Amino acid sequence: MTTNTSRRAFLQRASMLAMSGVAAPLAVNLAAMAEASAATASDYKAIVCVFLYGGNDYANTLVPYDAASYNAYYALRSTLAYQQSALSATVLNTAAPPVDVNGVAHHYALAPELAPLLPIFNAGKMGVLLNVGTLVQPTSKQQYLAKSVPLPSKLFSHNDQQSEWQSSMPEGATSGWGGRMGDLFESGNGNATFTCVNVSGNAVYLAGKEAVQYQVSTKGSVPFSAFQSPLFGSASCSNALRTLITQQHSNLMQSDYARVTQRAISANDVLTSALAGAPVINTAFPANNNLGDQLKMVARMISCASTLGAKRQVFFVSMGGFDTHDGLVKVHPGLLKSVADAMAAFYQSTVELGVANQVTAFTASDFGRTLSGNNDGSDHGWGSMHFMLGGAVKGGRYYGKAPVVASEGPDDVGQGRLLPTTSIEQYAATLGSWLGVSNTDLLAMLPNLANYNASARNLGFV
Amino acid sequence: MTPTPTAAAAARFLAQASMGANRAEIAKVQSLGYAGWIDAQLAAPRSGTRWDWLVAKGYNALTNRNSENGFDACAWRKLISAPDTLRQRVTLALSEICVVAIDGLVGGGWRSFSAAAYLDLLEDYAFGNYRALLGAISTSAPMGQYLTFRGNVKQNPTTGALPDENYARELMQLFSIGLIQLNLDGTPKLNNGVPKETYGLSDITGLARVFTGWDFDMAGLDANTPDFLRRPMAQVAKRHETGASTFLGSTVPAGLSGADALKAALDIIYAHPNVAPFISRQLIQKLVTSNPSPAYVARVAAVFNSDSRGVKGNLAAVVRALLLDPEARSDSLNVPGAGKLREPMLRFIGWARAYNASSATDAWAIGNTSDASSRLGQSPLRSPSVFNFYRPGYVPPNSAVSKAGLQAPEFQLTNETSVVGYVNYMQRAVSKGVGDVLPDYSSLLPLAANGQALVDEINVVLAAGQLSSASVGLIRGAIDTMSAKTDAALHNRIFAALTLVMAAPEYLVQL
Repeated sequence: MTTNTSRRAFLQRASMLAMSGVAAPLAVNLAAMAEASAATASDYKAIVCVFLYGGNDYANTLVPYDAASYNAYYALRSTLAYQQSALSATVLNTAAPPVDVNGVAHHYALAPELAPLLPIFNAGKMGVLLNVGTLVQPTSKQQYLAKSVPLPSKLFSHNDQQSEWQSSMPEGATSGWGGRMGDLFESGNGNATFTCVNVSGNAVYLAGKEAVQYQVSTKGSVPFSAFQSPLFGSASCSNALRTLITQQHSNLMQSDYARVTQRAISANDVLTSALAGAPVINTAFPANNNLGDQLKMVARMISCASTLGAKRQVFFVSMGGFDTHDGLVKVHPGLLKSVADAMAAFYQSTVELGVANQVTAFTASDFGRTLSGNNDGSDHGWGSMHFMLGGAVKGGRYYGKAPVVASEGPDDVGQGRLLPTTSIEQYAATLGSWLGVSNTDLLAMLPNLANYNASARNLGFV
Repeated sequence: MTPTPTAAAAARFLAQASMGANRAEIAKVQSLGYAGWIDAQLAAPRSGTRWDWLVAKGYNALTNRNSENGFDACAWRKLISAPDTLRQRVTLALSEICVVAIDGLVGGGWRSFSAAAYLDLLEDYAFGNYRALLGAISTSAPMGQYLTFRGNVKQNPTTGALPDENYARELMQLFSIGLIQLNLDGTPKLNNGVPKETYGLSDITGLARVFTGWDFDMAGLDANTPDFLRRPMAQVAKRHETGASTFLGSTVPAGLSGADALKAALDIIYAHPNVAPFISRQLIQKLVTSNPSPAYVARVAAVFNSDSRGVKGNLAAVVRALLLDPEARSDSLNVPGAGKLREPMLRFIGWARAYNASSATDAWAIGNTSDASSRLGQSPLRSPSVFNFYRPGYVPPNSAVSKAGLQAPEFQLTNETSVVGYVNYMQRAVSKGVGDVLPDYSSLLPLAANGQALVDEINVVLAAGQLSSASVGLIRGAIDTMSAKTDAALHNRIFAALTLVMAAPEYLVQL
């Protein structure tokens, strides 16, 4: 199965490109084919999407710290705000503070609970992306208000904006940009199954046009009990089970179910033996931290990437609970602590494994939230602040434009719901470029990227 | 005169209309006919509430205040043993449309009671009126907790704080009208090829003003008993926004009391033409098929809009219509895109009901079955968010279903971990039971020595006869290699046959 799957994926892609000749000029197909073979890289790289489900509250994650911004922040959410004195230990010092639309420089502090990330920022291995979100094209507030440019559909809706972040389409999308990158790379991997790996639940992010996400638990793949010992003492029954659950059917759902089962069986055999031979990871991951458990599994899989023949991998992990309409002050700090503990340990584990420069982790979420609070929480917003971590990240600095801290200011569409100044497709393109995706392929997999000037497509953080 | 359904046809009907078939229920369907069986179920007395069972078992002792003790048990008990099986099935479906999950029932202690109160409330309205259901959940303490409008206050001009928008948004998006304007048949209304959205941000901020001022009704109570959680919430007038609230092109006038403003707002939402197709299609998906034809949706939605007496939202009439519809009753065995994946809870409950599983000590110690790697990957009232375990429009990527342009909601729970975890769990469950919940295989034991008879019987009751003769032959062949000499050996044959049938894709997809 190992090499066959990869070869089949490559041939399938080749034949699909050939068949698509009616719609696309031959030159494009040839270029794409050249890229597909170029994607057969000899080195190893991986990106890891850390998705914060529910819509992370940006203002209590990256807190405005300069006096004017802090005062505006405090005025708009006095019941939710950190005291400025509580932030002094986690101020992000940088030579070139980001400026807003008026040219005014901004300073920020990490929420105190994000302190474990501070040394990584200070070491230049973590960057901060300001006001990034779903967009179809560069959009001014005037254009938003006049509805004179296309906007992402179903703004402020959880499921649809999760999908927009992961796929550039609302719910119902059948492929995401992580998976579409996987399409390019799976033929270069020894076993295509391990190209797009999800340690969380199913997510459209990792579905490609051809690449299929592989789901693994935090403890590794799960074997069928009946294949480890005979089913109620009967080897014949175990054999019958294997046939029954993997054979194909004319009913589509039955077939699809059997395909998932077949993949589970094949992958378990390969992965179990690869993990058994993998180096022990000594980095301490936080206890009682499911995101940490997921990221540890990612680190373990990375540690045996060479055994699996993996050259390029896209991972997805997630954590829920960020929909803090209520009890924000009570709940949000603990969520951030879990994220910081897990991501800091993950970064440390990549250092330990000697692959820090080859692994880039980044955060994502449904949307940001309002800056002005309701009584004890915040509501659905749009643009937000995100982090990129890894040895290859040009960190210790900010990317993107600092939003003016205001409600009904130049950068928000009311209550501090930020109108993004950087698109998730620029975020995705930057990560894709680093993995080795060509500009042509980026334009093909990110439907709105062409609406940005070529010079603006790569944010340069990695 | 309708001919008597075969046992397999009756079992297929029961897979849609009940918590699972067994020989007794199959016989009832055969004697009453489909419509007669439904009418008998609609008229059947309600089984006792989860709340009363929790109290009877002493879970209202103060030591349980900050725990979930008893909840899983009270939920499983009803799912597995309540005789009003159609009401249980509709209640389960409603709990996956108007979603609440126990982990979000915070701020009052007694989470088990809050969760039980919510399921009991859904059950109150399972054969009732959808508008009345919306009214009841919109003042229920568990919903106030879960979607955070309990304690919600009007705009504060000093701090600038605005009302929490959470419930306003999800009430419209998930419980009533959805995001896209729909035709009666559930298809989107298009404007130059683009679906038309039902509302925008200003509609949310407008409606959010209505959901202010509600809080627990603690009159004469304290928090040392859970009783406030099953009382409708009460209004705190000073926290309620008395200014006008405009949304969906209508206005709730200024000066209304909290209760009157809520009633006016729900009337505005309920008048939207989306409600009938939006809710009808989801009920069809949860009971019958993932991909109903537009004509089927339109027929059911028409009943939703107007029952035989012209009333909108009669759920009993809607359920009757969707189960008796020709599309539900016609044989779909050979239609490639047909069916729905049985959700993991229903597979487990179906097994338990088929073999009259019971809890000798009345403990129902099945517990939380959410872990996908070792259990069902799904558990009652434990959805990860208000978006349910799976979305009604979920399309599994890179699938045959996707290529055919179809939806398969339950596949959102299907992955390399859960497909294995489920089979391993059922292998243990059929042989050892779960906790103190044990099956009664007296109906199978007399057949166990005869592989063909054993597998045929399981195929009819659990799989509605959907396993092909080739699959039955494969299983029978394997069973026939097993000893039939002792009672223990006969039981092993039963365990193996059950595990194999319940692992088969031909069983897993309800046709």
